[in-house]
Amino acid sequence: MPASPEIRTALLESDLLDALMVPARQGEFARDSRAFVRLDTSLRAYWHTLFDICPELLSLSGPDGLAIFRPFMAWAAERQLSMNWTYYLWVHRWLQQSPFADRLSPQLTLSLMAASAARWAMGDRGPNGGIALGSAELPELVVAWKCHTVTGGREVECLSLEEPLPPPEGGFGWFTLPGFELDNFPGWSPIPQ
Amino acid sequence: MRIGFNFTLGPTLELVQQLIAERHIDYCELLIDNFLQVPPAELAAAFDCPVGFHIMFSKFLENDEATLVEMAARLRRYIEVLRPIYVSDHVARFTHEGRQLYHLAEPEYRRDYEAMRARVAWWQEQLGQRLLLENYPSIMDNGRDAPWFFQQIARDTGAGVLFDASNAVCGQRNCGVDLTEWEPVIDATNHFHVGGYNASILAPTITLDTHDRALGADTLAFLERYRDRFDRPGATLTYERDDQIEYDAIVQDLSALRQIFTPTPELRHARIA
Ligand SMILES: [Fe+2]
Repeated sequence: MPASPEIRTALLESDLLDALMVPARQGEFARDSRAFVRLDTSLRAYWHTLFDICPELLSLSGPDGLAIFRPFMAWAAERQLSMNWTYYLWVHRWLQQSPFADRLSPQLTLSLMAASAARWAMGDRGPNGGIALGSAELPELVVAWKCHTVTGGREVECLSLEEPLPPPEGGFGWFTLPGFELDNFPGWSPIPQ
Repeated sequence: MRIGFNFTLGPTLELVQQLIAERHIDYCELLIDNFLQVPPAELAAAFDCPVGFHIMFSKFLENDEATLVEMAARLRRYIEVLRPIYVSDHVARFTHEGRQLYHLAEPEYRRDYEAMRARVAWWQEQLGQRLLLENYPSIMDNGRDAPWFFQQIARDTGAGVLFDASNAVCGQRNCGVDLTEWEPVIDATNHFHVGGYNASILAPTITLDTHDRALGADTLAFLERYRDRFDRPGATLTYERDDQIEYDAIVQDLSALRQIFTPTPELRHARIA
């Protein structure tokens, strides 16, 4: 039987930072503590960011999502994934090597690509106007544009080009668009960690 | 007291414009970095009232300087065209060892003071105008140093505070920072925030700054109790709501705020014969 982990008393954020995105570490803190609830609040934010945007994942994992969420977050922590806009693309990469691998559909792949593109369009603060994502396995291009009118929001499109771009090497690729026109292809960049 | 509302995303524009037209608000606070691809003149034309700027994702304490210099150059164009009443940003941790925090963390004010002071001064300089810093809705005991930090940083950098009254209430409920500790901060600023909070899902309950519901009774009582400290010439109070955005519910909270800050105290306390 494994020794039960030491229960920690945390009072400051710095005691918690390492555990804020690692579900397995929540158990190191007393269940009836403020720290435990603060960790729970943090973990829920990652959960909702994934499953509220891509609820179809729940049909793979079951309604609590934990069969995907827990192992993915552990895998992400091992690789120190940044959890930036590429979150959903890394979930896809994880799914491909998971017990769910044979249940992945092109629709799910496109949905995860659209979610990542949208997250870029919402959160990126650089000067570019849009992002395009491609997959080696699908002909479509997913493009997202930042909000650029006062009444608008970000926009996401799934495009089939008459002359398809060369496929990215190994999984997904991306490039940014300086304006609001899909008018150049600078080549694919690999998905950052 | 000028009362305002936060504008964060295009789809709520109509609602905000209705609040302006029906005089429920006197100004609008723009979450400006959501609109950096909208031409400044177009943004200015959309609001028939003064505006304030709230910067959400500059991550100025963490981002690399080149990124921030470039972002500041774009922000300055908006400052020039829209002439905001104030420009504010957030003091928070957005990442830990390069990984993004989705529920932001509170800084360690004393331990990291020197680095934070240098960055605040530098970011303020990049923006080309006085910067207001918003106090964080504390959960852990970091919050105990928050009233000290906001006074000290103001003395050392000239930056002001965007004092969020409901965030202070969160800090009181979660880590016992007495609201009286904020008195010098309230006295030194003219710009305020207020919003609804909610209890965490798990117990022991912590109070989270959710902006998704009506103002708490203790938040309203806090404003009422300190009414004369908050309400000075030029003062602004932004009501923040970015979830469950329903017109009537918002108007109800705005009216509650108006009632607290009604300019004639005799009327407020007048008895019905
Ligand atoms: Fe606020």
